[in-house]
Amino acid sequence: MSTPTIRKQKVKRTSVKTRLIIFGTLAALLLIGSIFSSHLTPYDPYLQDLSNAKAAPSMEHLLGTDRYGRDMLSRVIIGSRTSIYSTLLLVAIITAFGTAVGVICGWFGKWIDVILMRISDMFLAFPGLVFALAVAGVLGGGLQNAIIALAAISWPKYARIARSQTLAQKETVYLRAAKLSGSSTVKIIFKHILPNIIGPILVTSMLDIGTMMMELAGLSFLGLGAKPPTAEWGSMMSDTRSLITIVPWVTLAPGIAIFISVMIFNLLGDTIRDYADPKNREVRG
Amino acid sequence: MEKVLEVSNLTRVFKEKNKQDFTAVSHVDFCLYEGECLGIIGESGSGKSTTVNMITRLIEPTDGTIILEGEDITHKKGKQLRNIYKKMQMVFQSPVESFDPRRTLGDGIAESLKNNGYSKKEASKAVERVLEKCGLDGSFALKYPHEVSGGQCQRAAIARALAITPSLLICDEATSALDVTIQKEIIELLRSLRENHDRKLSILFICHDLALVQDFCDRVIVMHDGVIVEQGKPDEIIKNPQNDYTKRLIDSVL
Ligand SMILES: Nc1ncnc2c1ncn2[C@@H]1O[C@H](COP(=O)(O)OP(=O)(O)OP(=O)(O)O)[C@@H](O)[C@H]1O
Ligand SMILES: [Mg+2]
Repeated sequence: MSTPTIRKQKVKRTSVKTRLIIFGTLAALLLIGSIFSSHLTPYDPYLQDLSNAKAAPSMEHLLGTDRYGRDMLSRVIIGSRTSIYSTLLLVAIITAFGTAVGVICGWFGKWIDVILMRISDMFLAFPGLVFALAVAGVLGGGLQNAIIALAAISWPKYARIARSQTLAQKETVYLRAAKLSGSSTVKIIFKHILPNIIGPILVTSMLDIGTMMMELAGLSFLGLGAKPPTAEWGSMMSDTRSLITIVPWVTLAPGIAIFISVMIFNLLGDTIRDYADPKNREVRG
Repeated sequence: MEKVLEVSNLTRVFKEKNKQDFTAVSHVDFCLYEGECLGIIGESGSGKSTTVNMITRLIEPTDGTIILEGEDITHKKGKQLRNIYKKMQMVFQSPVESFDPRRTLGDGIAESLKNNGYSKKEASKAVERVLEKCGLDGSFALKYPHEVSGGQCQRAAIARALAITPSLLICDEATSALDVTIQKEIIELLRSLRENHDRKLSILFICHDLALVQDFCDRVIVMHDGVIVEQGKPDEIIKNPQNDYTKRLIDSVL
């Protein structure tokens, strides 16, 4: 009975590693592509050419042109920068802020914990879209405010994970040993707690990249995020949605770009979660 | 003889919601003299760990005072509290768990040195020296806790405790998790360290094993239900126990 199990684990192990390499490479390509996006565009993404508006995909314009005659491929490529950057920025903000709050709550406990956790519950209780609408209403639309709105409702999840992980760390013998070594609270948090809790938190961040990309695009689609003419996938879709029956490529191109990027980041997140799973770690040896 | 540690009226009450208050340690008084090895025995749950954790200030005493080398440390906080760990160190029951799984043994041993002004280079030299003193090769500094055996890890833990040359070493069942031959080795190590320590080392030795206490300790305290029921020389207590509980404890071993 034992042989098939071992074989099965072996197959799983290589597949996790292979997946990690494949999706890691794809995500890296996406990131590098977005960094150098301004050099990769075949045409100026903002250059209008009304004589060639709504052109169908051709060898010249692989994804056709929009109603102002702008090259769609160039706009999708340049749009990656806004879409991917703002998503990564958003995820970085909520990860850092949520983790900081969670560690503080878990470590200090008492009233600090009670107050901060009640506040995080409040944010958790808001329906995301309603909150974004409210923020847009107060601060005005725009990508920056969309990021603020999404960050405000997304950090509590990280605070909860970090808090429970910190509480578990506090019970460990090695933390008591660290205290006895005369390490200050700051040192203990940065040298012992964070390195030991960051794994599961980063897995959550990876899984969130796809979700956040969708939500940001969604807000932009509703006109609460990036504003035209800035090339951003969500607002590009919204901008052109009335044309979908006439020139479907202008709506579909950014949609497919969102779909592919979200897929890549979600699959990478899943893979990293599998990789970080202690059950797989044992097999890794 | 000089008193290294003096504990008086030490009490800890655990308060839990919807439950009666539980007194784990009640009015404990004892002192430890320079160079002495004092054993604490008692059955599981008798409050031994709670007592020493109060002494190391890892848990707060409800009442009482703790005096370390003539200094009242009962209410020390922050930097002052961190400073007392230069004089007092502890070895825990589970050697592997007492080291951070993500850091090397050397990192763990060097931590107290670095917190006390050693440079990286000085610390790594001192780590090597103290490891060798504890019977381990200097290369163990680069190993992770899961890469070494329990006995080797406990040696490293003792090295960590002794790296900044404390005057008081507390061992909370430091040998209980190890098998018998390794237990002997660790005891021999502690014995030799007592003789060759840079300053006079006093040891507070918590243990289940009566024979071990008899062999290793100069004096012993018997605890039961959070109270000290008897104290004296191990031989005398074993030969002529005064307290009923102690009698039962001895009978159960013999
Ligand atoms: N944090 C706590 N909250 C409530 N009760 C506790 C707590 N810590 C310890 N106790 C109780 O205090 C009593 C003494 O515990 P302690 O760990 O000091 O015993 P011990 O003598 O070290 O036992 P052992 O030999 O098993 O290590 C036990 O009954 C335990 O349940
Ligand atoms: Mg104990």
